[in-house]
Amino acid sequence: MKDKNQDYIRRLLKDTSFINWAKGTNKNDIEYWNALIQKNPQHIESIETAKSVIIGIKFTKQFPSSHKIDQEFNKVLGTLQEETATNYRFSVKRKLKAVASFSTAAIVLFMITWSGFTLYQNTNTNVHKTNFGEIIDLKLPDGTSVVLNGNSEIRYANADPRNITLKGEAYFKVKSIPSTNAKFWVHTEDLKVEVLGTQFHVNTRRKKTNVVLDEGSIHLEFNNGDVKKMVPGELVTFSQGSEKLVHTKVTVATPYALWRDGTYTFNEISLKEIMTNIEYTYGVNVEYENIKLQQLLITGGVPNQNLKICINAIERATNTRIIHKDNTLLIQNNLNN
Amino acid sequence: MDITSEESLWYFFKKGEINAFKALFKKYYPTLHAYGLKISNSSQLTEDCLQSFFVYLFENRNSLGDVKNLKSYLFSSFKRALFKQLQKQRLKTSLNDSNLLEYYITFSPQELAITQESQFLCSDTLHNLLNKLSSREKEVVYLKYYSDLSTSEISEVMDISYQSVSNTLQKAMLKLRKGTESQQIRNILKKY
Repeated sequence: MKDKNQDYIRRLLKDTSFINWAKGTNKNDIEYWNALIQKNPQHIESIETAKSVIIGIKFTKQFPSSHKIDQEFNKVLGTLQEETATNYRFSVKRKLKAVASFSTAAIVLFMITWSGFTLYQNTNTNVHKTNFGEIIDLKLPDGTSVVLNGNSEIRYANADPRNITLKGEAYFKVKSIPSTNAKFWVHTEDLKVEVLGTQFHVNTRRKKTNVVLDEGSIHLEFNNGDVKKMVPGELVTFSQGSEKLVHTKVTVATPYALWRDGTYTFNEISLKEIMTNIEYTYGVNVEYENIKLQQLLITGGVPNQNLKICINAIERATNTRIIHKDNTLLIQNNLNN
Repeated sequence: MDITSEESLWYFFKKGEINAFKALFKKYYPTLHAYGLKISNSSQLTEDCLQSFFVYLFENRNSLGDVKNLKSYLFSSFKRALFKQLQKQRLKTSLNDSNLLEYYITFSPQELAITQESQFLCSDTLHNLLNKLSSREKEVVYLKYYSDLSTSEISEVMDISYQSVSNTLQKAMLKLRKGTESQQIRNILKKY
């Protein structure tokens, strides 16, 4: 019985008309196969299996950059030339190289499994990237610690680890180097943060950059040329697009959304704004059953290491029901009340 | 696929043409790199191994025969070379001989496109379901949909018959389909 089904599937997989149906490309074939399925419901399982084999799985493929490929090719050419020149000496050298490369291999493996580490484009640039819903703690070569929120990325040149480009959201504890007074820079699309040694939070989502300073002092250099000094407890928001600048002190009265130690802290923030945060961090879509729901205000902390816990907390805080299906969060009034 | 250009590429490569070698390298390095990374989980090892693999190919080009299918030839010989290295590495690090040839392919969520063309597969659980497949099923799925190898090419790389590739693929897709279905039902039940 099972073999018979497999034979049937194999025949389907070779049938051009069936492939057209599965891909939905030819109208006649679609009609033909739809009619056939109606008449032969016993085959539906085999047909669906064959269809899924044809459609398959879509991968986001990651390949090395063409620059990297050129580099590697030149290395091969170099080896070939070297080998013809000194055939004997080389075999010894290669062995040594192999040993060295394996001891580093273990370390590389560790990093990949831990943080979705990507190191492709350029060997001179370090990139740390998080997936949706993933948070990583990083120690930079200079001793600065960075907590990178989900769907975010920092990159820096190996030669200059105190000069960082950020996309997304991160919390920095910058290690000060008193002997040299070395500065630390964070670049975003909208501004540059200049630091001596301090703790602060940068968020570049929603086409604007938010900076909150916890300790120490920093200078901001905006892309329009302005410079601003910040003192602890202040919040600055700037967008290059709208050139709108907000500079306030974070108090009990200011609406703010902060992210620290894996927790979002909100003060009088609308559900709409919070859900936009969730969309960026977890890569989901949010829909509202009723547009009024967007205006609900939330005050308090929401844990955000895990989408499920996060949704639960928001449900309780706003007395709503959130349905998670196929990458979409649908927000509804809680009917039980 | 343009067979003639593959054949001429191989012909000129065997004659020692550097440009043909470069074209060959550029064409196959990316997919071989991704495949090696998937098996070994180490970019260092993959890149070292690819280096010596291509050096070996060029140096021994005269003793290589006429290959029927370049892609499957490169995949299977690179796989063999990589396994040799992995074996050496594991001999150094572990005394347990039994798992010498075992390797585990795992899929991570960011490798999967967020929207899948097939309605049966919803992506937030798909990587979990993929990782539950047997290692042979995972390899077939990977080679088919990530490396874009045909069924007959896969059968050469994995050294199993055309039939068993086809059956394994069907079984894998059936499992994924059933898995998402029951996951969706469970999600609905949880809500009410």
